Amino acid sequence: MKQRVVITGIGVLSCIGTGREPYWDALFHGKTGFGPITLFDTSLFNIHIAGEIRDFDPVMFLGKKGLRELDRSTRLICSAASLAIDDAHLQITDENTQSIGVSIGTTFGSLHSISQFDRVGLIEGPRYVNPSHFPNTVLNSPASRVSIRFHIKGFNTTISTGFCSSIDAVSYAADFIKLNRTDVVLAGGVEELCEETFLGFHNLDYLSGKDGFEPTCFPFDARRNGTILSEGAAVLILEDSEHAVNRGAEILAVVKGYGNSFSPQRISNDISADINFNQSGKGLKNAINLALNDASLTPEDIDYISASANSTKSLDRMETEVIKDVFGKYAFTIPVSSIKSMVGESFSASGALSSAAAVCAIQEGFIPPTVNYKEKDPECDLDYVPNNARQKDINNVLVTSSDPYGNNSAIVLGRYDRR
Amino acid sequence: MNKRVVITGLGVISSIGIGWEEFWDSLLNGKSGISPVSSFDTTPYPTHFGGEVKIFNPEEFIVKEQLPLMNRATQMALAASQLALNDSDLTPEGLYSYRVGVSHGTTLGAAQTIEDVDMLLIHNKEIHKDLIYQMFTYAPPSMIAKEFKCNGPLFMFSTACAAGNYAIAYGYDLIRLNRADIILAGASDPISRIEYTGFNQFSAVAPEKCQPFDKNRKGMMLAEGAGILIIESLENALKRNAPIYAEIGGYGLSCDAFHMTTASVEGIAECMRKAIREAGITVEDVDYVSAHGTGTLANDKAECAAIKEVFGPRYKKIPISSIKSMLGHTMGAASALEAIACCLAAKNDLVPPTINFETPDPECDIDCVPNQARKQIVNIALNNSYAFGGNNASLVLKKYSGS
Repeated sequence: MKQRVVITGIGVLSCIGTGREPYWDALFHGKTGFGPITLFDTSLFNIHIAGEIRDFDPVMFLGKKGLRELDRSTRLICSAASLAIDDAHLQITDENTQSIGVSIGTTFGSLHSISQFDRVGLIEGPRYVNPSHFPNTVLNSPASRVSIRFHIKGFNTTISTGFCSSIDAVSYAADFIKLNRTDVVLAGGVEELCEETFLGFHNLDYLSGKDGFEPTCFPFDARRNGTILSEGAAVLILEDSEHAVNRGAEILAVVKGYGNSFSPQRISNDISADINFNQSGKGLKNAINLALNDASLTPEDIDYISASANSTKSLDRMETEVIKDVFGKYAFTIPVSSIKSMVGESFSASGALSSAAAVCAIQEGFIPPTVNYKEKDPECDLDYVPNNARQKDINNVLVTSSDPYGNNSAIVLGRYDRR
Repeated sequence: MNKRVVITGLGVISSIGIGWEEFWDSLLNGKSGISPVSSFDTTPYPTHFGGEVKIFNPEEFIVKEQLPLMNRATQMALAASQLALNDSDLTPEGLYSYRVGVSHGTTLGAAQTIEDVDMLLIHNKEIHKDLIYQMFTYAPPSMIAKEFKCNGPLFMFSTACAAGNYAIAYGYDLIRLNRADIILAGASDPISRIEYTGFNQFSAVAPEKCQPFDKNRKGMMLAEGAGILIIESLENALKRNAPIYAEIGGYGLSCDAFHMTTASVEGIAECMRKAIREAGITVEDVDYVSAHGTGTLANDKAECAAIKEVFGPRYKKIPISSIKSMLGHTMGAASALEAIACCLAAKNDLVPPTINFETPDPECDIDCVPNQARKQIVNIALNNSYAFGGNNASLVLKKYSGS
């Protein structure tokens, strides 16, 4: 049962690379994906840098037909799905479509479409709104369009739990396999970069560069002062291991266990007082312990922790403390890195991008670095794999996500044992 | 994984009642919750009615100082949760909090917040942090978890008009997988200008009343509300002597993979079949179907065709009603409120009617329980919900028949 759910394909679009191999290559080389924002006018902000997916051409993945009606999130997730299906050599037919599902995490993926639709109604009047734009205003539109485009009929689910969304979507998918509801699930997450989401994180003082200095994403570094927002889409093909073996699929990794736990992050009753995390970290600690138990692993079995640290003051510190709390003396010997130093904070997509990187670590035998790391923070004193990827045999990776509202998710991915 | 899962508490915020007692009484009496929309100006629209919850006073449930920090979806969700917990005889102190989770659904969740922000944006006004906080789709379940100390799993399903069923269904899974003992499951959605605009532009909104399955039906009625169900392992419920309304038999999900807004008969038929199969029953066993029944020409026609396909010659013998005739379409909350109606139908052997029914439609020649509630044995109820994107969810609720 411990190898019941396996990963047989990956599709990634990120600001550092598109496709499994280019993405992994960029992680190895510590490439960063930040640059001037071109998707919208930033003249009203004092931050102009983000992690955009440059030169994204959906025609390459989806062809020309039917593209016009798809918003950017939908184009990204459909492209990621296309890459993942190809990567897994998955054939979707009338015979097997009912045993294939889609589970996607996204929260603000449709926000731009919603807001544009509403603003046309406000400015020009509701009778002048183009009804063909209405379907893009539901949050399940990106995931549903994956099903429509690839004829996937088993089920279709959209999960919106913020930073935790895509780990939650992957764990939901794994549950569906364990409960014998499905053989295969396209699981992942997507978030597009748009002015509405940018405005939100900007006004919450969540972004680096508000002080006028060049925005930098340096998780765990003493100088960290906020994150860099980015966009991305990643789809993992989750599969019942027997199904994968029977069809001769290459098994890239195993979903070993996961956990999800809420703890209110703010002590204050005033929820608007501070987006930052308080230091309890109880929820994250519980989520990690649940994931380890579910995987039947002990702390020393974990070879690498892919952190959700995003260069904000309190999250990186809280995560460090929780790791020390859970892993005890092993905390200082387990490498911990944040790929957000390279791919930025892609919000709901972040867990899927980190999971894709975790599979890379297992397959390629290296740990992606935390780049831009220079100044040690006394409160963040673990081995963060600074600046250079590190060769290491990896059997088990812990991936975490924490959301300022209080949700926490953790998942353990491991090497597939062929026996 | 073979754990039995039961429903032990119900919380309702609806246009026809606050709390399940008032809600159920209104349903049985065919009371309509439709009235002229007052939360935004409908002058530029061709229609002016909706199902706003005008009887909801959030101050009865939430400390006044906190209200400005919560949008309407969150306020209704918190109030419905409070009612459900009271109904289930649960207090936050009495729970082992890591074993209690929240599984919630919505169409747009923060719809009214997004609308407020849009209004400020077009006038070039500053967007304050308080408002941005409320834009996060998952604010309602997060605030439920915070308020009631639910430190277990937290999920937010944004699968549009099927979200309530998705949330209840996964709550059931979480308990069967032993990841929680108790889940606060349900959904909430406010009346939304965005939805009002969209559905009016689709010419899918009825002028004054919602008439599911009627030959002259003119569309849906946009509405709002929240429904929360306490779902729990039977073991846990028995241990603490909880009231038991119904048992969850199983569910089915399917995706049309066809069109964003046009339902597929095949897709929704498959969804019902999966639910029936998972519950280990046959079509013969189904005593009541709570229809998605929005009152649009296309939905009701497709749903009836799918029901005929699934139930075969028996389709005319099953009472199939749509409480949307009374409530309007409460979007993500709809299937949660309908699941509550199914629990009460199974508990009381009474079936709520489809009101405003005047003229039979040969394409919808089902028994829609026209206008009058009916005494009827309900051992098994099937709760249908369909959404944009072809996201379908059907839930089987069973009369609880002892351990």
